[in-house]
Amino acid sequence: MRVMAQMAMVMNLDKCIGCHTCSVTCKQAWSNCSGVEYVWFNNVETRPGQGYPRAYEDQERWRGGWELNRRGRLRLKGGGRLRKLFTIFSNPKLPSIDDYYEPWTYDYDTLTTAPLQEHTPVAQPRSLISGQPTKITWSANWDDNLGGAPDHLHRDPMIKGIEDKVRLEFEKTFMFYLPRICEHCLNPSCAASCPSGAIYKRSEDGIVLVDQDKCRGWRMCVSGCPYKKVYFNHRTGKAEKCTFCFPRVEVGIPTVCAETCVGRLRYIGLVLYDADRVLAAASTPDDKDLYEAQREVFLDPNDPAVVAEAERVGIPRDWIEAAQRSPVYALINKYRVALPLHPEYRTMPMVWYIPPLSPVVDIVRDTGHDAEDHGNLFAAVDALRIPVEYLANLFTAGDPAPVDAVLRKLAAMRSYLRDINLGREPRESIPESVGMTGEQVYDMYRLLALAKYDERYVIPPAHAEQAHGLEELATECSLDYEGGPGMGGSGPFGESSGGASPIAVENFRMLRDRQTSDTYAAPVDKGSRVNLLNWDGKGTPDGLFPPKEES
Amino acid sequence: MPRITVVERDYPAIAAKMGALGPLVDELGVTTKGLTYRVEREVEYLKGKNGAIRGGPADGRPSLVRDIHACETILALSGTTNGHLATQGFRTLEQRTGTRLADLAAEHEGKRIAFADTQAAPVPVITSPEWSGSETGGRRYSPFTINVERRKPWHTLTGRQHFFLDHDWMADLGEQLPVFRPPLDMTALFAEPGIGDLGPAGITVRYLTPHSKWSIHSEYQDNLFMLSLSRGGQTIWMSEKDAVKIGVADNDWIEAVNRNGVVVARAIVSHRMPEGTVYMHHAQDRLIEVPRAETSGRRGGIHNSLTRLLIKPSHLIGGYAQLSFAFNYLGPTGNQRDEVTVIRRRSQEVVY
Repeated sequence: MRVMAQMAMVMNLDKCIGCHTCSVTCKQAWSNCSGVEYVWFNNVETRPGQGYPRAYEDQERWRGGWELNRRGRLRLKGGGRLRKLFTIFSNPKLPSIDDYYEPWTYDYDTLTTAPLQEHTPVAQPRSLISGQPTKITWSANWDDNLGGAPDHLHRDPMIKGIEDKVRLEFEKTFMFYLPRICEHCLNPSCAASCPSGAIYKRSEDGIVLVDQDKCRGWRMCVSGCPYKKVYFNHRTGKAEKCTFCFPRVEVGIPTVCAETCVGRLRYIGLVLYDADRVLAAASTPDDKDLYEAQREVFLDPNDPAVVAEAERVGIPRDWIEAAQRSPVYALINKYRVALPLHPEYRTMPMVWYIPPLSPVVDIVRDTGHDAEDHGNLFAAVDALRIPVEYLANLFTAGDPAPVDAVLRKLAAMRSYLRDINLGREPRESIPESVGMTGEQVYDMYRLLALAKYDERYVIPPAHAEQAHGLEELATECSLDYEGGPGMGGSGPFGESSGGASPIAVENFRMLRDRQTSDTYAAPVDKGSRVNLLNWDGKGTPDGLFPPKEES
Repeated sequence: MPRITVVERDYPAIAAKMGALGPLVDELGVTTKGLTYRVEREVEYLKGKNGAIRGGPADGRPSLVRDIHACETILALSGTTNGHLATQGFRTLEQRTGTRLADLAAEHEGKRIAFADTQAAPVPVITSPEWSGSETGGRRYSPFTINVERRKPWHTLTGRQHFFLDHDWMADLGEQLPVFRPPLDMTALFAEPGIGDLGPAGITVRYLTPHSKWSIHSEYQDNLFMLSLSRGGQTIWMSEKDAVKIGVADNDWIEAVNRNGVVVARAIVSHRMPEGTVYMHHAQDRLIEVPRAETSGRRGGIHNSLTRLLIKPSHLIGGYAQLSFAFNYLGPTGNQRDEVTVIRRRSQEVVY
């Protein structure tokens, strides 16, 4: 047993109202700059729908994630090192800007500077790529609320196999919202795809990050990630991705998306897992067994043997206690209502979802039945293959049984709590019918419905004595940079290439780079050199050619 | 009947008067929801806090010259931010209702929230007779808890929640109790085409303007991020069946025309809409991506370009029990939001 700690998230989809507050606050915090206009580390998709980028789940096309070879061993679906080498200069499995969307702005200036004229001035859309007037034909969330579904819905890869059951009729409509961030996988295929070794998974908390100095912009991570949650910054020529807001999490506060979530549907906590079992679990032969396999990789934080081993490998005591109080562990393994998104990609994703009961409740209610009655709801879960099969395609590689079990638990909770709420005698037969006790159902209700802040987010702060390791520093002096007193390493604001980056100040450095660079290619203090690997072809930065002799 | 009074204005003195808290508050107090608060103490406090005006028509009155003065004045004159006024108001209300109320604010009687407090952090308000809920003891606000728990009568003729209205006009209209009224027949009343009619001008559909998903009226609708997460301009949702009839595909430019006006928007085609009905979300911003209309040659309109207030006699009732008339929205029903319009596909080359 090799105990490791992982920071993980669960989202309760019944509570998502699709308001996009998470997307907007995340973008404002992390990707509100040039080069990443099209990038949403956090996005919310209407499902059924294509998602962002379009149809990213079609791995026959994008070849993201892992697959098993003939001998039953894991390999990257996009091919191994040799294939990577042959395609390194022309990565064929890369989403184009059209698969994301062409970002735009408006000529707002017109509104205040237009002269007196017959028609009131109006701001027209301008492409953020060409700067020219544009016609908006796609966005980061085009099919919101099933908009344009008759044209686009058949392109949702999750509809495949159940096309005949998903009807595009007003009376048969169902939908829900799916918020997505990076999965911070236990077995990240982005990291495995990177030819430069620039993506790493922090050993302390499992957060997956891109080392901005090691990244050479090959974009193999973009192709390798089946969730398409690594993005290319066209300004810096580097990969960027969701950081699980590590500067916040390190001080014990939730990610921006979770903190600002209006529906309070996100849960953040630690899980302890056995790193020795990850490979075997990810290699489980049948896709449909992957959910159970991944669940079993997680260790019971209350098991004395696990606690002893965790202490032995140096996991701090307060982290172990946080793992014991973890809402994520409770939702995944105690109540078993959270499911992984696309376990069949075999990356062992660490952002899990409680599938929504509301499509079922809506149908029961709209047909004039009591939508709080567990009998009606159980019957509906059994009878309604849609949406159950659709949810199974998302969360259990197509196996409806675990989805059924979760929906029945949620239905039982609704029904059991209604009796309590109305002052009636609670019926213990209801929790028993889903293999739970009344007390367990009440505790689950407290976590899911009351959802107190300090129960949703159990985030132990990083330890100061580990800061050195967290920052991935060696033992240099902080003044030990090029031109500095130590005369080694790279400059105080970094440079486009080379040198180890103190990761905890990554964001500061990136911003500072952009703010202080005169040209697209080189920061001012770089002086004499240009790294051609990172030159984006714009202009002729200083140092590209030898200086002209003064005449 | 409303009382009509002559107001004399000293126009050259208006600016000076608006820059100070006037003398009538000393005399009349401050009245909200039928309850008058005495504010002599607060006026003295504001003279100290904001400073008093020297000279001119407002001599000696608390200053309202700066924005912060206005904020301090609002905070000082409301029971929700001034515990003294909240308890004073509840004591007055106790005398009128005969129920115990002052304890709701007593825990905060000495508390006063100043502007600086609201700058430092959000501050919970004090339970006050200005509102119907209670936040006493850190409780979360919920409307009408004071009425329900403390038996404070509702502001109706009976003091209870009631649906029955015994006004003569309501009796004449047969609306003393809530009744279903079908949408008005716009064809008979205003010679609009019938719903479902299909002709060269397009298809006639029911037109609704539900509140926006992502905005409070136009606020936030024009936010670039939110526009990037939607369609980037104003839209009308319509069913696939209606769209097919007029040859409209998703994201096509369409024009919606009726006797009131013209709207140019992109179509969102979805099976989520029922046949025969379209909707256009409330208050999308007309300054963003709204081209000129082919029909009028002028800038296309907003959701309200196709609606018009329709008044019926019951909207004008006032001066009786809890019913009062105010010249604003003219009636509680929002019936003007049940319109019809003719929609057609327009030229896809738009001119701004």
